[in-house]
Amino acid sequence: MIESIAPVVNAVLQGSSAPAIPPAAGAALAVGLAALGAGIAERGIGAAAVGAVAEDESMFGRGLILTVLPETLVILALVVVFVV
Amino acid sequence: MSLRTDAKRGQGSNYEYVVARVRSRRASLFDDDDYRKLVRMGTGEIARFMEETEYETEMNALGARYSGIDLVEYALNRNLAKHFDDLLDWAEGQLYDYIARYLRKFDAWNIKTIIRGIYSGASQTEVEDDLIDAGEFDERLLEQLLAAESIEEVVETLETTIFGDALTAAYGDFEDSGVLVPLENAVDRAFYEMLLSGLPTGPEVDSPTGLYIEFLQAEVDFRNLRNALRLARSGADMDPAEYYIEGGRLFKERQLAQLATDTDQLVNAVRESPYGDDLEDALETLEDAENLIDFERALDVALLKYAEQLSNRYPLSVCPVLSYILSKEREVDNIRAISRGREAGLDSDEIEQELVIL
Repeated sequence: MIESIAPVVNAVLQGSSAPAIPPAAGAALAVGLAALGAGIAERGIGAAAVGAVAEDESMFGRGLILTVLPETLVILALVVVFVV
Repeated sequence: MSLRTDAKRGQGSNYEYVVARVRSRRASLFDDDDYRKLVRMGTGEIARFMEETEYETEMNALGARYSGIDLVEYALNRNLAKHFDDLLDWAEGQLYDYIARYLRKFDAWNIKTIIRGIYSGASQTEVEDDLIDAGEFDERLLEQLLAAESIEEVVETLETTIFGDALTAAYGDFEDSGVLVPLENAVDRAFYEMLLSGLPTGPEVDSPTGLYIEFLQAEVDFRNLRNALRLARSGADMDPAEYYIEGGRLFKERQLAQLATDTDQLVNAVRESPYGDDLEDALETLEDAENLIDFERALDVALLKYAEQLSNRYPLSVCPVLSYILSKEREVDNIRAISRGREAGLDSDEIEQELVIL
């Protein structure tokens, strides 16, 4: 982490024309952050889904679908990789 | 101390999990149709009906020892205990504290039952069947209490719990007077004092926590109101201030003493209070019929409605859990009323009046 910050800071300070975060790295960041967001969202939904399944087995399918819904965030973020 | 509180503290709350389970259980409570059927049944039929529902396990477990109305009664208690114990098992962190606060009411009930059992010389199994193991006391503590031979022993066993100080203080009075009233009052008082102590101060009025505190205050206020009315009606020459519980929003201690003597003034005071709108119906029954039972039932309905409203407004908070607890309690009360009413030979209209249904 720290080692990777140093070149970025240098690049900014030198005022070179190269961007601080190159496009590929930006895309990678976008996917990573989106995945983080999806994970946070799934935490709550997953807990609720497990609770519902524990009470009623037939909720398993619905619970699973609702749990992975935020996964679409990551798929959408993946588009960025191809755009760049 | 064998309480779970310490282990649960310091964790995050798991609202999602608990609320999902609670909502599912809430949906499987008896509905209007079930009640309509139950009201028309005889005691034997009620027992059979219950065997086919939620209460199956308990009915089967107790079926060998009891029959008829007792079986229904004990099965209800056991089932209630099971469900509420589950709540405490699931909940973590802050949520656990909120739930335990309210469920300690059953601890108070158990202590009173045990003390009364010892006082009246009932056998250990008799007392045990009357306990509702839904509060924070675990089985070991309850067994210890059951094994106690004298009331003094019970008081000693409870020394480390929240009821300890109050009971120790009241024990002297009990020894002097020989009646249980001081001890029972001490237990109730300890419960109600714990209900409101140590809650976060000054939460936002509209946050779930704020509303939960408001709800607990309402509980205390309604209790004060009931006590005041009962004292006023019974005409007993007692100072209502002695039974006053602190923490409510409605009355101050002195005010209550004054109002208890005059029902009209009391009704007016409540009408001008923040509860005025919610209790409008209840107050009207009180004024018209001069009937305390109807009024108390209207209070229950008002409380239930309020909890229901909150649970829809704040899905991820303690409110849905609270609403479930209240509904479950009402269901148990209703079934008990039906079966008792049947046994006493009331007809279905009369029984229906006794029920608290939203």
